[in-house]
Amino acid sequence: MKLKRPKENPEIPTASMADIAFLLIVFFMITSVFSVTRGLEFQLPRQDTATESTPEEAVHIRVEPAGNDCVFIVDDGQMALRDIAVYLMPKLARNPNKFVIIDTAPTAPYRCMVNVFDELKQAEVKNISIPTEAEKAAWGRIM
Amino acid sequence: MKIKRPKRAESYVPTASMADIAFLLIVFFMVTTTISVDRTTVQLPTSMERGETPKDSAVIVVEENGVVHFSDGEEGSRVVNPSDILPSAAFIMSKNSLKFFLIKADGNVQYMAVDQIMEQLRQAGVRNIAMLTEQESVG
Repeated sequence: MKLKRPKENPEIPTASMADIAFLLIVFFMITSVFSVTRGLEFQLPRQDTATESTPEEAVHIRVEPAGNDCVFIVDDGQMALRDIAVYLMPKLARNPNKFVIIDTAPTAPYRCMVNVFDELKQAEVKNISIPTEAEKAAWGRIM
Repeated sequence: MKIKRPKRAESYVPTASMADIAFLLIVFFMVTTTISVDRTTVQLPTSMERGETPKDSAVIVVEENGVVHFSDGEEGSRVVNPSDILPSAAFIMSKNSLKFFLIKADGNVQYMAVDQIMEQLRQAGVRNIAMLTEQESVG
């Protein structure tokens, strides 16, 4: 006698596939870190064609540490950070290529210098000069 | 006479394509996320003006305690002596003179730490630099 076997439909179980995939998504989302890739850009001058910003014509901003914060001395007068843009506006209107030198004291916090730089960028200053200590020494007194 | 109705279709939610959707999402995330070369956490300074920087830039990290990390943008960052950046930067510049250098410095470090790095980058002939910042909240 021939036995009749119940025939099963062959199939691959795919119901849990979505669960696995979503688990992977969650894993990647948790482990990935969002890296900051935005910031203030600037270009250093090429060494051969370095345009010397003559201190007499340039606006000179000295950043000095003051406790936890900083003071900004713009052309010999102390100024609040927000007033720098106002001070620069007429000068930039007359000469859009006006040089602005950011002279940061070595002991001043880095964020103060970034604040000034940000302020100048917002005021659309084209020529921002950030002399390093070695350059300042080469210039002699830049004030 | 009784009319025989066609057998009622069984109701179900189609889940067969769910896996496809999920894997599509995985592939999307894998393609769009960039593997960051540096995972040091620093308190970045804030600024209103912020520009996008190229993805494969070299990164120089200055931690609050003065420890400096350097990455050429391909390999992970490693701790370096603050005065040893010049040769690495010069080597990168010899391969790609338009390379971007990102300065990821803690806002509270003294400026001389950044100044030292800038001076070395200048000597290496680097042109494009960006200082990474956090978005400044208005007010």
